[in-house]
Amino acid sequence: MKISGSHTVALGKERAYEVLQDPAILARCIPGCESLDRIGDDEYQMRMKMVLAAVSGQFAGKVRIADQSPCDSFRLIVEGSGKAGFMKGEGLLRLSGIEEGTQVDFDGDVQVGGTIASVGQRLIDATAKLMIKRFFAKLADSAVE
Amino acid sequence: MTPTITRTKAEPLIGKRVKRREDPRLITGTATYVDDIQMPGMHHACIIRSPHAAARIRGINVSAAKETPGVVAVFTGEDAKGVGPVPCGASLPGLRVPHHYILALDRVYFAGHPVAVVVATDKYIARDAADLVEVDYEELPAVADPEKAIAEGAPAVHPEWPDNVAFNFHQEGGDVNQAFAEAEVVLKQRITSQRLIPTPMETRGVVAEWKSGDKSLTVYSSTQIPHLLRTLLAGMLGLPEHKTRVVTPEVGGGFGCKLNVYAEEALMGFVAMKIGKPVKWIESRRENYLCTIHGRGHVDYFEIAAKRDGTILGLKLKLIQDLGAYHQLLTPAIPTLSVLMMPGLYRFRNISADIVGAFTNCVPTDAYRGAGRPEATHGIERMVDILAAELNMDPAEIRMKNFIKPDEFPFATATGLTYDSGEYDKPLRHALEVAGYQKLRAEQAQARTDGRLMGIGLSTYGEICAFGPSPATPAGGWESATVKIEPSGKVTVMTGASPHGQGEETTFAQIAADELGVDIDDVVVLHGDTAVVQYGIGTFGSRGTAVGGPALYYALQELKVKIKKFGAMLLDSDDVSFEDGVCTCNHSGRTCTLAEVSGAAHRAMKLPPDTPPGMQATYFWEPPNFTFPFGAHLVVTEVDRDTGQIQIKRYVAVDDCGRIINPMIVDGQVHGGVAQGLGQALYEQAVYDENGQLLSGELTDYAIPKATMMPWIESAHTETPSPVNPLGVKGVGEAGTIGCSPAVVNSVVDALSGLGVRHLDMPLTPEKIWAVIQKGGQA
Amino acid sequence: MIAQDFNYSTPATIEEALGLISGGEAKLLAGGMSLIPLMKLRLAAPGHVVDLSRVAGLSGISEAGGAIRVGAMMTHYEVESSALVRARCTLLAETAAMIGDVQVRNRGTMGGAVAHADPSADYPAALQALEARVTIAGAAGTRVVSVDEFFVDTFTTGLEPGEIITGIEVPVEPEGTGVSYQKMLQPASGFAIVGVAVRIRKEGGVISFARVGVTGLGSRAYRAAGVEERLAGTAGSASDIANAAAVIADGIDANSDIHASAAYRAQMARVFGARAIQAAVNRAA
Ligand SMILES: Cc1cc2nc3c(=O)[nH]c(=O)nc-3n(C[C@H](O)[C@H](O)[C@H](O)COP(=O)(O)OP(=O)(O)OC[C@H]3O[C@@H](n4cnc5c(N)ncnc54)[C@H](O)[C@@H]3O)c2cc1C
Repeated sequence: MKISGSHTVALGKERAYEVLQDPAILARCIPGCESLDRIGDDEYQMRMKMVLAAVSGQFAGKVRIADQSPCDSFRLIVEGSGKAGFMKGEGLLRLSGIEEGTQVDFDGDVQVGGTIASVGQRLIDATAKLMIKRFFAKLADSAVE
Repeated sequence: MTPTITRTKAEPLIGKRVKRREDPRLITGTATYVDDIQMPGMHHACIIRSPHAAARIRGINVSAAKETPGVVAVFTGEDAKGVGPVPCGASLPGLRVPHHYILALDRVYFAGHPVAVVVATDKYIARDAADLVEVDYEELPAVADPEKAIAEGAPAVHPEWPDNVAFNFHQEGGDVNQAFAEAEVVLKQRITSQRLIPTPMETRGVVAEWKSGDKSLTVYSSTQIPHLLRTLLAGMLGLPEHKTRVVTPEVGGGFGCKLNVYAEEALMGFVAMKIGKPVKWIESRRENYLCTIHGRGHVDYFEIAAKRDGTILGLKLKLIQDLGAYHQLLTPAIPTLSVLMMPGLYRFRNISADIVGAFTNCVPTDAYRGAGRPEATHGIERMVDILAAELNMDPAEIRMKNFIKPDEFPFATATGLTYDSGEYDKPLRHALEVAGYQKLRAEQAQARTDGRLMGIGLSTYGEICAFGPSPATPAGGWESATVKIEPSGKVTVMTGASPHGQGEETTFAQIAADELGVDIDDVVVLHGDTAVVQYGIGTFGSRGTAVGGPALYYALQELKVKIKKFGAMLLDSDDVSFEDGVCTCNHSGRTCTLAEVSGAAHRAMKLPPDTPPGMQATYFWEPPNFTFPFGAHLVVTEVDRDTGQIQIKRYVAVDDCGRIINPMIVDGQVHGGVAQGLGQALYEQAVYDENGQLLSGELTDYAIPKATMMPWIESAHTETPSPVNPLGVKGVGEAGTIGCSPAVVNSVVDALSGLGVRHLDMPLTPEKIWAVIQKGGQA
Repeated sequence: MIAQDFNYSTPATIEEALGLISGGEAKLLAGGMSLIPLMKLRLAAPGHVVDLSRVAGLSGISEAGGAIRVGAMMTHYEVESSALVRARCTLLAETAAMIGDVQVRNRGTMGGAVAHADPSADYPAALQALEARVTIAGAAGTRVVSVDEFFVDTFTTGLEPGEIITGIEVPVEPEGTGVSYQKMLQPASGFAIVGVAVRIRKEGGVISFARVGVTGLGSRAYRAAGVEERLAGTAGSASDIANAAAVIADGIDANSDIHASAAYRAQMARVFGARAIQAAVNRAA
């Protein structure tokens, strides 16, 4: 499934580029993130608990950052699995300076499998969007701090 | 041979709307399904399945599951690899058959592939412990689309066969090149028959019980084929066949998906033998969708050759069959049935067909109501309509023109079949009359001027039923019946066909009651237990009544001879007749009842010359041919221009299934069949994403038609008896499904023909129709 | 299809129920039509299930002060068949009648449907059009919020942990209001691909009041203010309606799934929106 969108971060481009790759900030902003530990260069192990209304599930996985082109773009590769299934996502984040700060455009592919794929079909798209929305909302808060 | 029914009762039951005798237990909830079986010490199994469509198994950690209190065992592929492979009963030249372990060994091939099994003292513990089994997968690229699978560079489903081709099959008849050379019109169309999920109300379920004292295994399974299952299961488990018993309790729908031998059936046998306790496994709906066979899965490239006057000269087909990852019992054979049925009801004798069997990382396809024949009928009936549109001919007229005529039977087809009997124009004329065809066309013209999209669609389908002559059926195509007259005169029928919803407990009782002249309540029909019933083949391919019925008929004839012998002895006569359950001396007029005769045969104080005691006959009947039912369905639709939604305004079904034993049951079969045909035409589709994840994995996303979505079916029949069997019956289990989908699609294409629409692939979802309308007819 | 182990309580009062869920681990159970399937699929695994079926004060349908109060535990069937709701808030009754199937309507509750906030659920469209209010009980007392505030996002509401919906308030419809709920249903589940609820009042031959609620299209049910504005003051002719319905999806990031793409959903919102408006206009006195 393709996902794409764009969000605005009230930070300068350099700072936004930094923040988006800062594990401490990511850990705070990824919805449900319980831990994010460095396991290699630009590679982290993550545990998260996803809660959405009545649905909840624990996922364990990895986050990797690649193809960095400082301040302009980088690639984010996420994979996780839990009892409810697994997900893998890969997306390119592009940053551009605008008046309000930085516009982050993302374009990616999400692959979902297991129970969540075959029974939650109609919710995946909406849920992915919601998670991203929450992420940027938190990021906006973090940035202010 | 002319079919004859001996009318022994003043009022024969054959032909009557006798209420189904199986229904009271079904509708009062007192029937016993597999899940109703309780046994002392019974354990429960939960199966761990792959979430990936393709992956290598790097390791399986079962220790946490094993340590759970209440868990008695956890088995993986390594433990069970000695059990024989899941069998494929079909053979084709050069067929590639992957070894199908009952539990994956080091690699999984489709999402849902069984990987391990947890066995516990109750089902809740088993389910909880299943979550503790850790499987380390290394995901591999997968392919879910059959055309992509056979294209260059696709991931290999089975690494040993990188082209993903399981077989190539070619069949031809007549001279197709000549036909196409002579043709004045040649038309081509790609037509798909999407993957469907059979969705029986009762999912699969197995209980296995190992009796260690006498080393025998009893397996209770929701299956259509108890005897074949026993033979194959014994082979898989290395047990002697006579120490293996299969019991089929009530079956809550099969539709072909239980015409199979599944990994789980052998797995439960294996588990029961290992733990020495009975074990139960009940499939969840999710498992049913992921792991029980799917149906259809065709991509067909048709070419039709014809003269400008509408005479069809020949047909070419390239068929790509989505096989899934393995061959189940009949997987590769199903598309060959499509080829057999390619000519439909039409006289042309030049065909050529090429099948490519494509492996994909999906659950296998296999027989689903109609099994190959709906696909073929959909193809030919669409092509005939496409031809009619091209030639500006009426779809009814072009059909009439090409039908095989009644005096041409028996008719040898280009595909090697011999059609038994038919008057193909009769149901079509009847349907046109019932529907008021001319008036409908006038209404349609008016609707068009009003800007409404109304369509009229026809399908005149042929069927191949009564599977079948043994040489054409992998494990034998005969059927068996035993009739016992108990000492009291009550009658027990045992049929080798294992009915599971088709109503043979009623229709077979009607046949026996008529032949023996007894009350229907004096007849009981038993089936589905290999320890009770003589060997039989089972119920599938509309064969229950068409092959099982004649077996019963002949067993009854044998018994009647014996009845008369005992009657003659009791009446001290050399000339007796047997009618209405009474033996009469034709000289004196003295009589004795069936109970007296049977009592005498069992007490055996005295015996007629050369006659053993008892009153029982068993008959194994080999049919000399298939039977070929036919019919015409007419569907009137209206398409909502703004939304693409389709409304079915009229549904007329005229089916000819030969002699009708119980019109109510025949109607029920047609209704159910049409429901499943409508499901394919309008709603259903097994959707896999490109990675082999089943997205329509539950009933919330897989739309089977509900009662409220069904149109009123105006059902009628013509009766052309089959000369193949003494009852004149042909079979009707699949007719509705086969006749339905082309009639619906033809109707909708007709409705949109003003926009230049020539073809639409199923399911006809509103969005698909809407998009076509938006694009002004471009599909 | 077996849920994970859980504790089960059947409190008798709201206070007792609030006490049981205060820890945050418990899940409320109403009709179970959404929660139980999730538990059986193990997509939800609450350690404690608190059944509201015996809690006093969550049932009943009554009228007071120009509003109808529907208790949270009222089933869809009870709402659909309530003489009061049918007479005084027809839109709600007609919407309830179009939810799922008979079995679902016999068990599913209004409180459950609202709390679950399924982006394809039917009630939220009607509740948006009705400018309904949700009554919520919590440890700190009772609060009332408008549905527009309440429906936040996909499956996300303004309900705080430890709170219980006690009822929903809808206005008594003044005589002459024309209403309609029109829905395109997803054939497998019955949920709305899109659903549009409309209330129309006319004065002197022109539309004086229009409320339009939309479900299924976006991440939450919303009020289509643009449509309402375009309708106001018009005679409600076919072209007025088409002109208004044209903006129903504006600014909405439409959902897409195997049943309907985003573009098709948006277009169906316009089509069903126009139909609902037309039907409501026809019924408005
Ligand atoms: C086959 C099927 C078809 C359906 N079709 C439709 C349809 O067409 N349209 C439609 O709108 N819906 C449909 N539904 C959903 C149905 O309407 C549900 O009943 C509803 O969404 C949930 O209500 P419930 O009472 O069953 O809640 P439950 O399943 O018991 O609970 C749902 C959620 O709400 C919470 N909750 C329940 N009550 C309260 C309360 N008082 N306070 C706070 N939280 C609470 C629960 O903790 C849970 O998280 C369908 C459901 C099924 C099974």
